[in-house]
Parts: sequence; structure tokens; C-alpha cells
Amino acid sequence: MKEIEREISQDRRRFIKKVLGGSIAGSLLLVIPAGAMDFGNIPEQIPGMRKQTGPFIKGKKFAFVVDITRCIGCGSCCVADKNEYKVPDGNYRTWVERYIIDDHDNVYVDSPNGGLNGYQEPREDLPYPVRDTFFVPKLCNMCEHPSCVQVCPVGATFQTEDGFVLIDYKRCVGCGYCVQACPYSVRFINPETHTADKCTWCYHRVRKGLLPACVNVCPVQARKFGDLNDHESEVYKILHQPHVISVLKPGMGNKPSLHYVGLRREVV
Amino acid sequence: MPEYRSKPYSHIVRIVLLLVIIIVAGVVVRGKVLPKSFGEYGHYRGDAIFDEMKRPVRNGTNASCLVCHPYIREMHLNGVHHTVSCEFCHGPVADHVKDGKVIAKLPKKQGKEIRRLCLRCHNQIIRARPKESIKMISMPQHLEEKHVRTDHICNQCHNVHAPLMWVKQAKAMVGVEEDSK
Repeated sequence: MKEIEREISQDRRRFIKKVLGGSIAGSLLLVIPAGAMDFGNIPEQIPGMRKQTGPFIKGKKFAFVVDITRCIGCGSCCVADKNEYKVPDGNYRTWVERYIIDDHDNVYVDSPNGGLNGYQEPREDLPYPVRDTFFVPKLCNMCEHPSCVQVCPVGATFQTEDGFVLIDYKRCVGCGYCVQACPYSVRFINPETHTADKCTWCYHRVRKGLLPACVNVCPVQARKFGDLNDHESEVYKILHQPHVISVLKPGMGNKPSLHYVGLRREVV
Repeated sequence: MPEYRSKPYSHIVRIVLLLVIIIVAGVVVRGKVLPKSFGEYGHYRGDAIFDEMKRPVRNGTNASCLVCHPYIREMHLNGVHHTVSCEFCHGPVADHVKDGKVIAKLPKKQGKEIRRLCLRCHNQIIRARPKESIKMISMPQHLEEKHVRTDHICNQCHNVHAPLMWVKQAKAMVGVEEDSK
């Protein structure tokens, strides 16, 4: 008899515990937004990337397309880039250049603070009326044949099998050979780490299934990033359909994976 | 008298011995000096890939902001500014939230800062912008046209998240009044 009573009382205790626990947990769920702000919970922007844990990205070939006919020179990309990497002032992993052509076909290029503050004022120091103005965002070209990798004396900059050119910040001695070798001037010596630094197309974000920071913030979709093996992707369609497409300095033979739509003759 | 003559091949032995010592020393020193994963995939430290992979993400996406701000979500996604990034104006999400907890408030843009932000995209004077992509205005002509004081800030008429929301609402209200007259 006693045993049965004990069992009943234990059961009650357990029951009350469960009810209490459940209601507390339930009310907590209402207060705390469930799992918010864990980056794993942000929807994947590049499908299938979070499953890949190996050293190299399998089955994808990424390309970057910048559409200069769409760029409005707002500088969101530069702001996002500075925020993502805390790039020291005066150095730029990506920047936006302004090209101005006057009616005597003189070309003026400027990029005050790398376009970080946007372009608020027109150029007023020009002798002739302006015929045309456009913006050209610049970033790492992710060359198929990177000059920077070739010249590095310590193996600190390298090309992964999936085509990303990255820097080993622990190994770099800051000699600056790569800064000189890069035909696109995207490299700089970071004054804080004293190593070479450059745009990585946000490799860490891509590996987490997110688009590069600059692509993500561009309000007019002038920057596009995608997989060339996916024939439905926007970059594939752009690069395989009639468009004015070009790369910077094709004569250098670096074979950049960064393509420009609507690139003009004047752009260097 | 014994002849003190070395064997005819002793100089070769010496050279080979020296070479072997140099090679062994070289291999030992190389093994000590080179980092662990060097040469695993190529002429670089293989672990550098994982180091780069582990770099913290500081900018989220709009989805990461709007999950906690449902009221803004409603406005932002239904307005013409739905392609504008939250973090462009407000700053990176990593400065605001860490491990699921709010660590700091992001600075709020005010007054002239707002106008400056708006004009980064909408300033007609720059002339470099593709015509049909976004609406361009020139200051202060825009304010004069609308018959308001020229020191007005953009967000006095335009909701920054959905710039045409209040304008549309006001028009609808005026329209209703006109109908009822």
C-alpha cells in the first residue's frame, strides 16, 4: 500500500515538474526570439555551401560580374567592405572610381577616399563641359594565372583549387612583391598587420553560404556573384549571352574571373 | 717504412659523406622550419584556407536584421527601398548582436547625416547615374518645387524605409477629401 502511495506522489511531483518546466520554457520562447542572429539561421544565399566542409569548394566555379551601366556610385559596397574587414583608413580592398569624359575627349579619373563617402559633389575644376560620367567599381580580379602568387617568395599567397586567391597572414613577411606584381593594384600592405592584404571575394562569407558583403548591399545589383556551373545563375546567363563584356587589361594574360558589363575603352 | 698513402678513392668518399651530411641536415632543418600543413595541397600552408574560412562574419543580410524587427520588415520589404541594405545606413550587425544577445545599439543617423545618406544615391548633380534605374533629385530645387523650407531633411516627408509610403498615404487622403467634396 505504502509503495503505491509513494509511486503516486512521485508521479505527481514529476507531473508538476513537467507542467512548470513546460510553461517556463514556453514563456521564455515568447520572450527570446528563437535562434535569432545565429549566422547559421540566416537563409543560405548560395545554395549547398554549408554542406561543404572540405578545404576546397566542390562542383562550383565562381565568377564575379560588375555591371558598370548600373553602378550609381553610392559607395555602399565600400562601406560594407570596410565594416566587414575593419580595413584601416586609407586602404581599400574595393573602391569605386569615377570616370569623367569632357567634350574634348579628355578623361579624368578620381576616387576620393575610395568612394567610401559616396560622390556628393561634381568635379568643378574641369576646363571643358562634361560629356559623360560613369563609375567603375574595382576589386580583386581573382586571376586564373595570378601574378601575385607567382612572385611570393614564402608561399604566403596562393590559389585554391576552386579558384580563390588567398593570403596566409601568418606566413606573409610583408615584402610587398605581390603589391608590385598585381596588374590591377588591388593589393596593399596592411599597416596594422604589416602583411599584404586584398579583397578575397569574401571567401569566409561564401563558405558560409552568404554572398560577398559588397554584392549583398548593392542596391542596384551592379555587382553580381554566382556559380558558372549553374546554367540558371545570373552570371552564367550574362557571360553566355550577347552583352558588352570585357575584363580589365586582357593583354596581361592573367585571365581574370572578374568580368565587367559595359566596360568602356577609357577604363584602365 | 710504411707508405702514407691514402686510398685512391678516399676523396670521393669524403665528398659523398659531406653531401649526405648536408642533405640530411637540410631535410631536418626544413622539417623543423616549415609549418605543419605546408605543401599539403600546393606550395602553401594548407591550414591557411581554414584560417580564412574562420574569419568572423560582420555583415549579415537584410534577413538577419528583419527577423527581429518585424515592424520595419513590413515597411522595408513593401517599399521601393527593399533592395537597400539595412547595414549600409545602420552599421554591421556584428556590432549590434553577438551570440544571440544584443550587445550595443547601432548609432542612429540624424539630421544632415540622413540627407547625406540619401544624396549618395539620389543626387542628380553627379550626372553619372543611369537614367531609369532610380529617382534622381537635385537639391535644393526639389525642396523649392515642393514649397517647403530648404533646410528640410529628407525624412520629414519620406519614410526612409519606404520613401513613398507617407507620400502615397497623403495623396490617398487628399484624394478621399476631394471625392467627398
